[in-house]
Amino acid sequence: MGMTAAAHARHPKAALRRLEAWSALLGLLVALGLGTWIYQLTQGLRVTGMRDVVSWGAYIVTFAFFVGLSAGGLIVASAAEVFGVQSLKPLSKLGVLTALASITCAGLMIIPDLGRPDRILNLVAYPHWQSPLIWDVGIIATYFLFAAVDLTVLHRRDTSPTGLAKTVRVLAYIGLPTAVLLHSITAWIFGLQIARTWWNTALMAPLFVTSAILSGTALVAVAAIAAQRFAHVRVPEQTWRVVSNLLVVSLFVDLFLVACDYITILWGNVPRERAALNLILPGGSWQTVFWLEWIVGGVAPLVLLMTPRLRASRALVALAALLAMVGVYAYRIELVVGGLVRPIIQLPPGIAKGSYQSDKSSFVYTGGYHPTWVEIAIVVGMFALLAAFITVGYRRLKVLSRPTESHPVPGITVESPIPEPRKVLT
Amino acid sequence: MADGKRWGMVIDQSRCVGCWTCAVACKEINNQPLGFWWNRVLTAPPAPEANAPASDNIDVPAGEFPNLSLAYQPTACQHCQDAPCVKVCPVGATFRRDDGVVLIDYERCIGCRYCIAACPYGVRVFNWGDAKHADEFPVGYAKDYRSDGRLVFTPERPRGVVEKCTMCAELLDAGQEPFCVKQCPAGARVFGDLNDPASEVSKLVNEEGAQRVLDELGTKPDVFYQPAGRRDLTDGSAQSGSGS
Repeated sequence: MGMTAAAHARHPKAALRRLEAWSALLGLLVALGLGTWIYQLTQGLRVTGMRDVVSWGAYIVTFAFFVGLSAGGLIVASAAEVFGVQSLKPLSKLGVLTALASITCAGLMIIPDLGRPDRILNLVAYPHWQSPLIWDVGIIATYFLFAAVDLTVLHRRDTSPTGLAKTVRVLAYIGLPTAVLLHSITAWIFGLQIARTWWNTALMAPLFVTSAILSGTALVAVAAIAAQRFAHVRVPEQTWRVVSNLLVVSLFVDLFLVACDYITILWGNVPRERAALNLILPGGSWQTVFWLEWIVGGVAPLVLLMTPRLRASRALVALAALLAMVGVYAYRIELVVGGLVRPIIQLPPGIAKGSYQSDKSSFVYTGGYHPTWVEIAIVVGMFALLAAFITVGYRRLKVLSRPTESHPVPGITVESPIPEPRKVLT
Repeated sequence: MADGKRWGMVIDQSRCVGCWTCAVACKEINNQPLGFWWNRVLTAPPAPEANAPASDNIDVPAGEFPNLSLAYQPTACQHCQDAPCVKVCPVGATFRRDDGVVLIDYERCIGCRYCIAACPYGVRVFNWGDAKHADEFPVGYAKDYRSDGRLVFTPERPRGVVEKCTMCAELLDAGQEPFCVKQCPAGARVFGDLNDPASEVSKLVNEEGAQRVLDELGTKPDVFYQPAGRRDLTDGSAQSGSGS
């Protein structure tokens, strides 16, 4: 790491070239995603893998994932103020930036999922207040505006001499409940549905809040480590410790809540409720998401983050954060597709659309889902857009303000201070 | 829309022979595109209650040979009084008329498919792409139909919107019965006004104990069933276990 930083200092041009390559890659992926969406517009949603049984797929999975990512940032930033977690303060601005970028992408992610995107303004013209989807539209818009204001204020605080500390504090007190509400409402889109036993649990909102803290913090960690590596800024050691502890705790609580759900269903053994879980548990046709959630995104990051020698490596913390995000994404697939794939009543008609199952004596109808290249290209494009937003925001807003600057953050000890942390690329 | 009416239907599963005439008639009158079924005939093991979800297999009897039994559960929109699809629609495109018919405004729907996720009966279908038809010309009702100015039926399906059984609103409003009721060769479907205690549907519900499917969810459908297993239909006839 140190060597890389030194190398960067010596070769600013190499760093610039690397940034250009990164930007070009993101631009290309965004353009591909956009082009694919235009293709989808000409063909309709039939070019996706979604059909009447599994009628929500990669788009809604990714939407729910992005909503989760947007949490963490604001929760990290607000916790610094509300609970006085001083060592999180250096990450406040980065947190709010990732929150703003994620919630923007979450809102945009809905558009390719709509059968009639041309009618999206009906959401404003004819809102039906009983629908959790309308609550979500409201809270996402609120959250977007809030994050934009918060980011502006944080930026002013860092650049202007006048102290905005009090405003930042007030905003933090608003931000925390707003974030909790955002995740709860998004959870209720699923959790309130009586037709889907897999979704219909009161655990849904706590689960969404927890997995949001987990994945959002992980995103902040990955962005901070990338900044530290490529832009030559230094995040204090103590901040890393708090971040990795936050990851560990939220990962434990997240898996605990999911396990509670599993155990309730397994012990009760109601066939209707077992149907979805059987697909996900080892041996089921969707077991990949189980392994991704529990091993790749569960045990592996826990080992990395709880073994002191491994935790000392920034690269491994970044890896752990990435794996945790993979786990949360797997959970979103498990949730959305698992809830739809086995409806509580048989769907139309076995012979015309069903598939033959060798262990059964006849054609039976089961739902299935595989994302098509169209869905993959659009989702990848959205991830690239998210990365592009964070990259651009980071560079324009000088996001990782250094604690040793004109606004010192009390309580931070920089264990191995660099004399003058330079930003190479400005 | 006649005043004070609440349209309802009772399906006698002990009369249903599983011929799919209602499903095909429904496709025809509504000019449904290929692959669409607003109404389908599920196979359900005969049970004393209509509660059981249909079995996984189509046309496969329940039980061990030679003691087999077979019954059917024709299933389309249940026109729930407390319809989850109406509740979740973010733009009010799905709505319930005063006479109990649940309809979709083709011009309002944004295609979010929340209603498909919310419906316990799985009766909604989506226009994933451009509609394909076996015939080159519209069959059946073949005209647009508006209810209170809202487009609730059109033979030329717009892409990207959801659709389902309309209880043949266009026929109801013209004083006729739904097409599936008219076409059923076994006389298994009875249609009428649930608000009129003297109507046949009311009698079947109030006196004969017609039941709702998934009643425990509290969606209060206005479509009722008389389960095939509600009385021993094989009584008196020797070894007729293969059902009827």
